[in-house]
Parts: sequence; C-alpha cells; structure tokens
Amino acid sequence: MIRDLTTLLGPRHARALRIYLGWLFVFSLLQGAAMVVLVPTLQALLAAHFDRTLFWLLVLAALVAVTCIAHYQQAMKGFALALVVLTTLHDRLGDHVARLPLGWFSSEKIGRLSKSATAGTVMVTNVFAHLLSPVVSSILTPATIAVAMLFFDWRLGLTAILSMPLIYLTHRWSSAWVARTEEQVDAAGVRASNRVIEFARNQEVMRAFGRTTVGYEPLEKAIDDQRIAGGSMLRRTFPRLLASGLSVQLAFTALIGVGVLLAIEGAIDAIELVALLALAARFAGPLAEAAGRSGLLRMAGNDLRRLAAILDEEPLAEPARSTPVTAPGTVEFAGVSFEYQRGAPVLRDLSFRIQPRTMTAIVGASGSGKTTITRLIARFFDVDAGSVRVGGVDVRELSTEDLMAQLSLVMQDVYLFDDTLAANIRVGRLDATDAEVREAARLAGVDEIVQRLPQGWNTPVGEGGTSLSGGERQRVSIARAVLKNAPIVLLDEATAALDPNNQRYIRNTMRILMERSTLLVIAHQLSTVTAAHQILVLDRGCVVEAGTHGELLARHGRYTAFWNERSRAQGWRLVQEVGG
Amino acid sequence: MKTNQRQNASLRELRRPVAGLIRVGTLLGGIGALTTLVPFIGIAELGRALVEPGPLDLAALAVVALIVVAGLGLGWACTGFALWVTHIADHRLQTFLRRALVRKLGRVPLGWYTDKTSGMVRKAVQDDLQDLHHLVAHHDVEFVSAIVLPLGGLAYLCWLDFRLALLAVATLPIYIAAYAWMMRGFADKMVQLDASFARVSAAIVEFVHGISVVKAFGQTGRAHRSYQSAVSDFSERYTGWVRPLLRVEAFSSMALSVPVILLVSLTAGTWFIARGWVSPIELLVELLIAMVIPQTVLTLNQGLTAQRKALAAAQRITALLDESSLPVAAEPQPPRGAEIEFENISFSYDGDRNVLSDVSFSCKPGTVTALVGSSGAGKSTLAKLVPRFHDVTAGRVLLGGVDLRMIAPDVLYRQVGFVLQDVQLVHGSVADNLRLGRLGASDQDMIAAARQAQIHHRIEALPRGYDSVIGEDAVLSGGEAQRLSIARMLLADTPVLILDEATAYADPESEAQIQDALSAVSRGRTVLVIAHRLATITNVDQIIVLDQGRVKQRGTHAELLAADGLYAMMWRSYSNIDPSVACAGVRRVS
Repeated sequence: MIRDLTTLLGPRHARALRIYLGWLFVFSLLQGAAMVVLVPTLQALLAAHFDRTLFWLLVLAALVAVTCIAHYQQAMKGFALALVVLTTLHDRLGDHVARLPLGWFSSEKIGRLSKSATAGTVMVTNVFAHLLSPVVSSILTPATIAVAMLFFDWRLGLTAILSMPLIYLTHRWSSAWVARTEEQVDAAGVRASNRVIEFARNQEVMRAFGRTTVGYEPLEKAIDDQRIAGGSMLRRTFPRLLASGLSVQLAFTALIGVGVLLAIEGAIDAIELVALLALAARFAGPLAEAAGRSGLLRMAGNDLRRLAAILDEEPLAEPARSTPVTAPGTVEFAGVSFEYQRGAPVLRDLSFRIQPRTMTAIVGASGSGKTTITRLIARFFDVDAGSVRVGGVDVRELSTEDLMAQLSLVMQDVYLFDDTLAANIRVGRLDATDAEVREAARLAGVDEIVQRLPQGWNTPVGEGGTSLSGGERQRVSIARAVLKNAPIVLLDEATAALDPNNQRYIRNTMRILMERSTLLVIAHQLSTVTAAHQILVLDRGCVVEAGTHGELLARHGRYTAFWNERSRAQGWRLVQEVGG
Repeated sequence: MKTNQRQNASLRELRRPVAGLIRVGTLLGGIGALTTLVPFIGIAELGRALVEPGPLDLAALAVVALIVVAGLGLGWACTGFALWVTHIADHRLQTFLRRALVRKLGRVPLGWYTDKTSGMVRKAVQDDLQDLHHLVAHHDVEFVSAIVLPLGGLAYLCWLDFRLALLAVATLPIYIAAYAWMMRGFADKMVQLDASFARVSAAIVEFVHGISVVKAFGQTGRAHRSYQSAVSDFSERYTGWVRPLLRVEAFSSMALSVPVILLVSLTAGTWFIARGWVSPIELLVELLIAMVIPQTVLTLNQGLTAQRKALAAAQRITALLDESSLPVAAEPQPPRGAEIEFENISFSYDGDRNVLSDVSFSCKPGTVTALVGSSGAGKSTLAKLVPRFHDVTAGRVLLGGVDLRMIAPDVLYRQVGFVLQDVQLVHGSVADNLRLGRLGASDQDMIAAARQAQIHHRIEALPRGYDSVIGEDAVLSGGEAQRLSIARMLLADTPVLILDEATAYADPESEAQIQDALSAVSRGRTVLVIAHRLATITNVDQIIVLDQGRVKQRGTHAELLAADGLYAMMWRSYSNIDPSVACAGVRRVS
C-alpha cells in the first residue's frame, strides 16, 4: 500500500510521504507513552501520595505537550499530502494517459479509468486525511503499551505481547475469508447488475417476445444466485468475524484473569494491578477499532492499486527527436505481422505501398484485418514484425505530433465533445478561420444538419447536447478531416453508407480530398472501389489480390466473387415484382 | 431542508420491507454498547476490592471478574449479532429492490429508454444499491451504539458524582465549537463542491473518451485544457475552503485525543480527590469512560458522510421506482385481425412541437407499406408508435380495430414484432437468443427459422454450434447478428412487423444475405418499413411520403412518379447518386 502511495504521489513527494509516516510513527509511540504514565500516576493517587501524583502529572503534561506537537505535525502533513493528491493526481493521470498508446483505450479500460480517476482520487485523499493515521496509531499505540507493561510486570506484559500475534492471526484469517467470499459475492453482484442492465437495454426485444410479463429466466437466475451467494457469505464470514472480535475480548479477559490470579497469589501489588488493568483497557480498545476499520482500509487499498496500475502502464515509446518526413503522402507496409492476442495473428507478413495522391481501397470480409491496418498506420499499436512507414519514415521514429500531422482519420466511432457544433469541427484545425470551418462543413454536408438544429452552428452537441445520428456524426468527422488537410486520409466508409444522403457527401469530399491527399479507404460502396487507383483484397491478414478494378475482375478470383455478391445487394427489392 | 425531508421519506419507504430486521439489529446494537460499560465499571470494582485494606475477599473478586467476562462476552455477542441481522436485512433489501427495479423497467413506456435513462439504470443497479449498504447494514446500529455508549457512561458517572460526568466531557465543547465553526455554510459549500466535482467527472469522461480524436488532431492540449480547468477549479475551490480549516481541525481534534483527555481528567480528578469529592476508584471509572468518548464522536462524524451519500442514492432509486408505467387498460380487448390504422394522429415529444401532425392511413394485412422522407420527417417516430414506444398525443392507432391503449401489453407484443437498426442480443447461447422469440420452440422450428434467415450455416460453423455463447465463442459481425435477430423474429411469428430497412446495411459483407432474410420475413404479414434507399421499395404496395410530420403523398411507386411531386423529386436526386438505379444493375468499369 505504501508503495502504491509513493507511485501516486510521484517522486517529488516521496520525501514528504516519508516525513509524514515518520511523524505518524512518533505520534503513535508518544501517545502510547502518555498512556503508560497513567500507571504511576494512578498508583500515586491510589496510594494517596499527592507529591508523587503531582510529579507524574507534570511528566504527563510534558509528554502530552510533545504528543500534541506530533499530532499536529502528522495531521498537517497528512492534510498537505491529501491536497497534493487532490491538486496533482488528476494532472499526473491526464499527462500519463495522454502518452499511452491509443490501442490501450478499450471501452472496458475507459470505463474503469473514469471511475478510478473520480472515485479513486477522492479515496486517496481520504486515506491521507482521515484513514491512515487512526489505523496506524491504533496498532502502534497498543504495541507500545504492551512493551511498557513488561517493565511493570513481566507476566502481564508477556500476556499482552503474546496476545498480539494471536489477534493479528485470527484477524488475518477472518479477513482473508471475507476478501475471498467478498470476491465471489461481488462477482455474483456484477452478474446480476449486468443482467438488469441487459434487461433494460434490451427492452425492445424483451417486450417484443413477452419477457416482461412471463419473466426473463437468466435475469431471475442471476438475482437468485446473488441472493444465495450473499446469504452464504453472511453465514460463512460472520462466525469468522465474530471470532476475530472475540480474540480481542479474549486478550482483555486473559489480562484481567492473569491479573486477578497474580493478586490472589499475592504476586503483584494490588494498587499496581488496578493501574495496569486500566492500561489493559486502552490496550484492547484501539485494537478493536483497528479491526473495525480494516474493511475500509481494504477498499482503499484496492482503489490505490487500480490507480497505481494505471500510472505504472508503459507509455508509447517516442523517439527523442522526430525524423523528418522524406516522402510526404506515402504509406508503406513492409513485412508487417501483428497480433492482438498471442497465437492469433491478425496481419501476416503484409507488404504494400501507397503512392502520394492516389486512392487505395481495402476490401475483405470482417475480421480480415482492414481496421487493424489503419490502426497501425496511426500507431494505436506497434507492429510485432516488419515496419510501417508514413511519409517514408518508420512510425516509431516519429513523435506522436509529427505522425498525426501527416494523418486525418475518419473512423466508425466518432467522438463529439460536449461543445458547439462549430467547435467540434474546428477540432480539425484550431487556427482555421470561420469561413474555412463553414466551407469544410458545407463540403461534408454538415450545413444540412445545422438547418435542423435549434441554435444552428452554436447548438451544443455531444454528451450533454443534442444528439446527432451516426451518419451525421460521421459527417462532422469528415468535416474535421477536410479542415485538417493532412497529406494522408484514412477513411472507414462502413457506417457512412447507411444513408444515401451521406453517400453523396462522402463522394463529394472524397473527390476533393483526393486532389490534395493520399486516400486509404476501407471501402463499402462499389463506386468507391471502382474509382480507386489500387484495390487491396484482404483475407485473413494477407493481401490475396491487388490491382485496379478492371485487372482484378479479369482474374475471376476472390475479388470477382466479392464484386458479384455486392452487386446483388445493390439491386435488392424488399418485395419482388409479381411474376418478376 | 426540503431535500432532506424528501430524502428521509425516500429512505423510510425503501427500507420498509426490512424495517423489522433493522429494528432488531438496532436494539441488539444498543444493548451491546451498554454492556461495553460493564468491564470498565468492573475494573473499578475489582480495584475497589483489591485496594481495600485487609485480606482479599476472594469470592467477591471472582464474582466481579466473572461479571466482567460475562459483560465482555455479551457485548461481543450483541454487537456481532446486531451487525449480522442488519447485514441480512441489507442482503434481502438488495434482492427486493433489484426485483422491484426489474418490474418497473418492464412497465415504463419504451420511449422512456434513452442514453440518459440507461445511465440512470446503470448507476442505480451498480452504485446506488451499493451505497445503500452503509445505511441499512451499518448506520442505525453504529449510530445508536455511538449515542447509547457515552450516554450510558455519563448517566453512571452522574450517579457517582455529577462532577465526574462533566469532567468526562470537559474537552468536548472545544471540539464541538470548532466543528460548528468549520461547518458554517457547509450545505452551500457542499452544493458548490458537488457541482464542481460533477464537472471534473464530466471532464474526465470527456478527456478519456475523446482521447483518440484529440491525439489524431494533435490537440492533446485542448482536451487537457478543459480537463485541467475543471480540475483546477475544483481543487481551488476545495483547497480554498479547506486550507484555513486544516489548522483548526488539527488543533480541535487534539481536544478529542486520548492523551489530552487523560491529562485533563487526571489533573482535575486529582483536585476532586484532594477536595474529597470523589474517590480514586471513581476517578478510574471516569477515566475509562472518558477515553472511549472520542471514538464514538468520530464514528458519528464519519457516519454522516456515508449517510449523505446513501440518502442521495436512496432518492435516485425511489425516483426510478416512481417512474410512471405505461397505462394499461382495466378491461383489455383482444385485437381482431392484423390491420394497422392511424386515425388523425399527432405526436409530440415535448408537448410543444408536433413531430407528427394529423397522420391518417392504414396498412392492410399481407401488404407492405414503406415510410419515406428526409431525416427528421418523422418516419421512425411514426413506426415506433405501433409497438407503443410512446402513446399518441391526439387521434388513435388501431390494431385489428382496437385502440392500442386498450390492448394488454403482452398481447400487443405477441402481435407486433420489430427489427430495428441496433440488434439486441443477450448474453447467452445462440439458441437462448433465438428462443427468446418463442419459449420452448423445438430445435426443428429453431433451425428452420435460422435457415430462412440465412444464418444456419454460420451458426453450425461456430465452435459449439447453437450452444455457442454470444460474445464468448460466438463472435458475430454486425450483419450476422442482424440475421440472428431476424431468425428470432421469424420464430416469434408475429402477424405485424415493423422494419427498418437500414438494418440491411449493418454489415457490408453480409448485406445481400440480410436482404434475403428481410424479404423472407416480410412475406404474408402486415409490414411497415422505414425506407432509406428508394430502390428497395419500388415494388411495395403503398408508399407514404412524410414531410415535416405530415403525410405529403401516398400511393405506389408508379403512381407517385406519375404525380411528379415530392416523391418524384426525391427519386430523381436519389437516382443521381445510386449507380444501381442509374444503370439498372452493375456498372462494369470505372
């Protein structure tokens, strides 16, 4: 946990963390020492020695004064660290995440990252402000007391010291159980939650098929499983938690028992025993409190680990100095192999070259590696073998900025910022004039969307604003690409093809983009394919055919089959003509 | 204040099913807290017996020791069982609330489901139910213990000597005063901070989700800026509020630290003893009790934060459970036939602007009706009125001569099926997903439907065939998923079908096959199709041309072309861009 905290604070604050922990340690020991002074003071009081009482009260006062200083120091140091976390952790996370390879951001990771960054940071703040100090002191203070008891009466001291590992072991035993069953219960809980969410998300289907009235069995089962898992967790863990609580009580009982026996034997001074029993109460109390906090501590530990794991993630390796681009507008794959998962190659020894200001269409079945090619060009991932060259330079020799300056991406999922429509287009090039933004928007057909929107160009879109349809989002993405005017454009046509209106705009913009850029298109429309200077037919990660439309058709191979099937789709009628 | 009342009311309502268990737990917790005092008093009594001059009274010693041990045991058992009982309560409540949510989800109008409401559902089942845990399983027990323990202790001290009771809480006012000073304006500050923190969360989400765009356009700085400004705004506000308080908190918490209490109690106690007000043994009792008070105050304080969170969660869950359900007729009627009629219907989402105005037409059984119009003309809205995603604002929609609102929902859904753009597959085997269409369908029927939907061979090729699990060993492309959903539709065999033609374009590779499946599913039913490519619907029985929510034209393709109106214009501009229309087939060479 301390290591995770060090990672989260960063090297600059490692010293501050050590100083804080040091003060916390000193404070806990002093607190224990102050408690120990209770014994001679009480002894003096019970024996009615007022002078001695006064002396010990003065000693206590001095100790308490020092303890207060330590308390103040550790509290302020803890707060300071909490504020450091609060003010810097978000920034550090932001800087770090921005340097991770784009391939790292799966939707699952994104969900977890958002959660860790919000709830996790609050938790870390809390660890420094309110959690660490009570937990540490409620363990160290009793330990100090136990050691001190040895000096007053070795038998009582020994009882206290021996009970500590016992308490620790039962606690560890029970909390290991709790952690384990909690994992199972959490898993059952996640499954049940997922089923409820699935039930909500699939309401159309659920209702279309009457599942809302007769019940949806997997959901019922998941809720039932969760009920059973939770019930059995309670049955299994509570006895163990009770046992853990019992161990503290037993330690206290043992101290009282040993004390009374010693008194009966006459082996201890009665007054000293009374004072020591009072101390014994302060030995057991904090330990019980520490045990009570262990659940919170475990949760905090999990949050810390998740956050630290993000910061430990390896950023994309960038060259110290970017190599200048030698052949602008070219893209070259030389013997590229790549796999997402070990043993499942997506691209195998792939080689091709794209000349500047030409259009290349990639066709192939889903899973043949089309999207992966565009991802490797944009360096979402690094290749396993071979090299990807953009502008004549290996993408690994280019800084992210220099690589991205070469590329415009129009992909299937388009992210819109929670901002106005105009601002979302301007993302393409921040210093574009209003006129340029409008022109790009006009070419991509965004101006048509504008007419429909209540506040025109200034309508907020994205998360909190008006939502745009998939086709409309893609038009925004195309407008961004037009505005950016990069030497190479990577375009995925698939969703854009949904809407005939979109098709028209895509065709228009492609014409314009082709005049000034190199185009690589994951093609869907036959017209796009036929217009390409080069067609790459992909199958299971290999280019099986390459050439122009005419050349490939003449070959009667894979491409011809593809072409025939697609042509059939184009001529579809929902209802066939009667007799036709 | 009002929010508080509302939140408390929501909470009471939510906890009602397990209120009895919580009460039992609270009672046990209270008893447990009181018995915690027994050992303290017992130690003092032991002390009294020990320091008494003369020979030790062994019997008395043993009795006191036994009482102490019994007190410890009872306290341990009561507190432990109290939490056990409330955890059982929490556990039951979670199941109860999940089921209640599911019931509600099945009854709200389909139109209720949007991105926002899905987010609410997700939050409710994932976070809010969790947040309730503290309130149900811990809060009452810990709160009552934290009140009962010091009060019981103080009462005992009062009985000994009221000055001892006062001494035990001597430092508390300092802490309370400091706390009150720190918390002034707390509610307002919290509202501001919560709002500011919500902005941070939104900025984080945007930053993370938008990272690919930001990187692709070389503007890591941009997202960073809005993210950074949200973060620094929050931390400035927070530190601005908290920093001046830290010193006060660090000082005032000393008032509640055990060493300080020890010093104060011993010093004043010595004086009390010197004055002859109390005995040293009585002071010992005071010490033991005074030293546990700080812990109870901290428990109360920490409980407040968790309670605040839980109350907000409770309110969100109640709000969800209070959503109004789709009205169901008291005496539902069965539809007589499969004809759909729209009678002068109007519809508005916001009650202000009509999306559909005065639309009338009917779809006869066994015919295909196509809805065309530019985007925003109201095609999808109109189609979705038939499965009652929403109820009309004026006019009525009839199925088999009966107003949709008079038909029981389960009957309606057995009549009306729909295949929309986004495919909905559940986590389960392929067979499970198909059988959603008809529970208990035979393998034969299932396979027949899959064959008709052109997906049987693909399923057969999966590692475990029909038993392959979606998303695990059945990884389907968009088009394959579409065909699976069409097979399910065929299995359900509803007489009325609402289709979105764009369904066919989900996956370029299997477009032709989806088209075949759609053609199969359309035969012999009442079909209403949302059309995008005009070429696909040239042979349908009826085309309804919508423009700004009104029916502009109606007729067959030939009739509408001859009329030379909006449809003819659309057709001309459409033919210009679609090569398959212009060249009546395939254009061979570029």
